[in-house]
Amino acid sequence: MDAAVLNAFWISVKVATCATILCVPPALLLGRWLARGTTRGRSVIETLCALPLVLPPTAVGFLLLALLGVDGPLGREGVGLDLLLTWQGAVLASAVMAFPLVLRGARSAFEAVDPRLERMGESLGMSRPAVWMRISLPLARRGLIAAAVLGFGRALGEFGATLLVAGNLPGETQTMSLLIWEDIQLGETSRALTLVGLTAILAFVLLFIVERLSRSAGRATR
Amino acid sequence: MKLDVRLVLDAFELEVRFEADTRAVGLFGPSGAGKTSLLECVAGWRKPSVGRIEVGGRVLYDSASGVSLAPHERGVGYVPQDGLLFPHWSVERNLRAAEHGRGVPEDALATAIEVLELGPLLSRDVATCSGGERQRVALGRALASKPEVLLLDEPLGALDRPLRRRILPYLVRATEAFDLPLLFVSHDPTEVQAICSEVVVIEGGRHVAQGGPAAVLGAAERAGTDFENVLRGVVEFDEEGRAHLALDGGVRVEVPARGAEAGATAMYGVRADDILLALAEPVGLSARNCLHARVERLDADGQDVLLTARCLGPLGKPGPLLRASLTLGARRELGLAVDGGVQLVFKTQSCHPLG
Repeated sequence: MDAAVLNAFWISVKVATCATILCVPPALLLGRWLARGTTRGRSVIETLCALPLVLPPTAVGFLLLALLGVDGPLGREGVGLDLLLTWQGAVLASAVMAFPLVLRGARSAFEAVDPRLERMGESLGMSRPAVWMRISLPLARRGLIAAAVLGFGRALGEFGATLLVAGNLPGETQTMSLLIWEDIQLGETSRALTLVGLTAILAFVLLFIVERLSRSAGRATR
Repeated sequence: MKLDVRLVLDAFELEVRFEADTRAVGLFGPSGAGKTSLLECVAGWRKPSVGRIEVGGRVLYDSASGVSLAPHERGVGYVPQDGLLFPHWSVERNLRAAEHGRGVPEDALATAIEVLELGPLLSRDVATCSGGERQRVALGRALASKPEVLLLDEPLGALDRPLRRRILPYLVRATEAFDLPLLFVSHDPTEVQAICSEVVVIEGGRHVAQGGPAAVLGAAERAGTDFENVLRGVVEFDEEGRAHLALDGGVRVEVPARGAEAGATAMYGVRADDILLALAEPVGLSARNCLHARVERLDADGQDVLLTARCLGPLGKPGPLLRASLTLGARRELGLAVDGGVQLVFKTQSCHPLG
C-alpha cells in the first residue's frame, strides 16, 4: 500500500482516538446530568451541545479558527494555545464535531438504567459517587462504549472543520478524508477508490460494534 | 414508630398519621391505596409535602425543623415487590452490596444466608434465579446491610399463592431472627397476621383503622373470600406422639406431627372455609379439633357469612379469635347470634405450617 495512504490511515486513527478520549469524560458527566438532573435549562444546554450536528462543519471550523487564531481568545496571544496547522488542532476539531453524538449516546445509556436501582444503592448506604461507580457506570457501560465507538467513527470521517483548523499537510495533518479529497482534485481516482474502500470497511466494523452493543445494552441495564 | 405524612402526587393525595409501639407494623390496604408511596417516604425515595417520620427514636424527616436525611443516611433495609437486585452482580455480590455503603457485618451475612437458605445460590447470576429465590436474595441483602429498620413492600406480591406460602416461613424466620423495627406492606391478610403485631389499614390515601391483626383484618370487607386464620403457639407432644399447639387461654389445637418440633414456637394457618360449625360437641367425627367459642361478629355478604368467634380455654379463659365461613342458610338453621356459644371443628390436616 502507498506510503501516503498508510500515513493518512495512521494519522486518522491517532486523531480519532485522541478526539474520542478528549470528548468522553465531559460527555459522561453532562450525559448523566441531562439524564437525571432536574435543573431547568437542560434543554438549552442540550441544544447548544447539539449545534455541531447541524451546523456546516466549515462553520464550526471557522469558529474554531477564530478562537484559536493568533489573536483569538484561545490563541497564542490569548490563553497561549498554538494548535493551528497541527495534528492536535485536528484532534480538537474532530472532538468538537464528535461530541454531540457521544453526548446523546451517553445520555441514552444513563436514561436506560432503572433509577430505582440507583436509589436502592443509596438505601444500602452508598454515597452518590459510589452509586455512580458501582451501579450507574457498569449498567450503562455497553451504551457508553457504543457512544464512544460512534464518536470515534464520526471523528475518523471528519473533514470540513479539520481542514480549516489543521490544514492538509501530508504526514502531519493529512487524514484519510483529506487525502480522498486531494486525490479527487488531482484525478488520482484509483487511490481515492482504495481509500474509500478502506474507510467503508472501517465504518462497517464500527457500526456493527455499535449495533451489537446497543442491542445488548437494553437487556443489561434493567 | 411515628409517621405523619402528607404527600401530594399528580392525581392522588396521601395523608396518613399513626403511632405504633410494636416492632412489626403491617400496612394493609388495596392496590393504589398509597402504601408503597408511604414506604418510599420512609426510605427517602420521596419527599413528603409536610410531615414527620420517626423510626426507632430517630427522626428521618421533619418538615417543621427542616430535617431530611438522605437515603444513604437513613439506615433502611428496603425490599420492594420486584426485589430490585443488581443485575450485573452475582447473588453473593448482591448480598454484599452494602460493603460499598454502610458495611456488611460477617455475622449478619452468615445469619441471613443460613435463615434464608441462600448458601447454594451464592455463585449464581441473579438473572438465573427464580422469583422466589430473587425475593429471598433481596431480603438477605437488606438484612445483611444491618439496617436500623426493615421496609418490606409486598416482598411476596409478585409470586403465585403456593410459592408465597412456601417463602412465607423464610420471611417469618428472618424478621424474627433479626428483631428489627419493621414496616410490612401487604394485601394478604395471612402474611400480615404471620409477621405483624399491629396493622394500620390505608384506603384511598387515608388511614382508616389500626389494631391487632386478627381484629382488624377479620372485618368482612378486608378478610376477602379466602381468609386464613393464623395460629401461633408452642408445640407440645403427648405420649401417643401427637403434636399440639398451645395457644392463648389454654386453648390447644392438634397439628400435623410431621415437621413439628417440641418446644418450638410455630405458626399454622387454618382457612376459614375449612372450619365447620356445630352447636354441640359432635361425636363420631374424624376431625381432631373441636374448640368451644363465643360468637363475637357475624358479617353477611349476600349468601356468604363470615363468623368471628373467640375460642375459650378449659377454664373459660379467652383464647385466639378464629374466623369461619358459612352460608346464610346455615346461619339461620343453627340460629347463630352474637354472644352465643358455638363449636369450631376442623381437621388436624387443615392446619398447615406457616413458619
